Amino acid sequence: MRRGSTILRIIILTPYLALLYIFQSTVFTHLTVFGAKPLILPLAVAGVALFRGRVDGGIFGLFAGILMDLAYNQNTIQFTLILALTGLLLGILSDTVIVQGFPSYLLICFLELAVCSAFQMLSLMVLRGAPASLLTGIAIRQSLATLIFTFPMYYISRFLCRVM
Amino acid sequence: MKEFISKKGIYIAVAAVVVAIAAAVSVALSGGSGFAALLSEPFFKPVKSVMTSLVSSLERVYGYMYRYDELEAENAQLKTEIAKLEEDYREYTQISEENARLRTLLGFSERHEDIVLEPVSVIAWTASNFSSSFTISKGTSSGLEMGDPVITEEGYLVGQITSVTSTSATVTTVIDTTLSVGALIYETGETGVASGQFDLFPDGLLRLSYIAESGSVLIGDTVVTSGSGGVYPAGLVIGKVVSISVTSSGLDPYAVIAPSADIAGSAHLYVITDFAVSE
Repeated sequence: MRRGSTILRIIILTPYLALLYIFQSTVFTHLTVFGAKPLILPLAVAGVALFRGRVDGGIFGLFAGILMDLAYNQNTIQFTLILALTGLLLGILSDTVIVQGFPSYLLICFLELAVCSAFQMLSLMVLRGAPASLLTGIAIRQSLATLIFTFPMYYISRFLCRVM
Repeated sequence: MKEFISKKGIYIAVAAVVVAIAAAVSVALSGGSGFAALLSEPFFKPVKSVMTSLVSSLERVYGYMYRYDELEAENAQLKTEIAKLEEDYREYTQISEENARLRTLLGFSERHEDIVLEPVSVIAWTASNFSSSFTISKGTSSGLEMGDPVITEEGYLVGQITSVTSTSATVTTVIDTTLSVGALIYETGETGVASGQFDLFPDGLLRLSYIAESGSVLIGDTVVTSGSGGVYPAGLVIGKVVSISVTSSGLDPYAVIAPSADIAGSAHLYVITDFAVSE
């Protein structure tokens, strides 16, 4: 867990989150890579968790999840739960075993996207009987499209978290 | 003074009078500037040219300094006029596009007089990779209801309202896996069910299932709504058949349809709020 002014964190992370949401719900709903829309909010959660630890990761994940559900145009709290939990868990990993660096960030982003995809697939498989093989194809496309943005997102997160 | 008036003075005066008379006669005869000008021209022309150029330059500098404020104001006014013209042009383009849409819509409305339409705009698309839906600008306060079909101005089916609030509504598109539409092949009358599939929807396609036999459907056939069930009016164009295949069991033929509506690029759409059920 890192120290820092709570007000400064709120001042920096709130507009960051708002800007990411605007990008996620406007630009990235039209921009497709490998036929899939990238998910930048989970990448931001991984960044905050890596550089700020469990508390900030969990709280940032909670709000990012709410906005992600809004961007998904769904009434469920699927991403609210997923991103809050992954933010917390990745923060714990960052506080204990993971060193701060791009390889670590790439790894935790991959893990986070795998969790997100697994939950999305599971709900479709259980509720609508969708075949896992077809859903896996979409999940892989989604993860690949998102992982392209890890490089810029890593440096943005690192810069912001160092300012706090 | 006395000496001047005497000899020299008289000579000078006579010479002056002679020169004056000669000049006057020369001017009168030539109708131009006379011999003096003719004589002085080669000497003074370059000097006059340089002087004129110099004066002209000075006048420009002076004019620039003197009229700077005036020019600045004129420049600002011209910029404003250009901005206004650009705005007018944009407005004209928008009106022109809207006019084209309304003309197309008029054609559709004339063919389907029973259909009541409500124009809407697309506000936002979903970020999901597992579904295809978007939010529109109107809701129950504009007479929209759950299940209302959404079409383009050409009458191409885009989707159906699946959730609605007082000021906005969510439209699930025809390529989404949750939507099924009673359909028929326009050319043959062959019926089927058009629905989204997880393997097709990332490519913006959907499937026509439950067709009797593969030979009854051809590539390029137009698929329209059948109107059965009363959810959609009959005859709305869903799309065209792009390929025909059979399921993995090898028993059930199906056709792959490319939607006629530009689903991802749609910005202005129409919700069918009422229509005559043809059953």
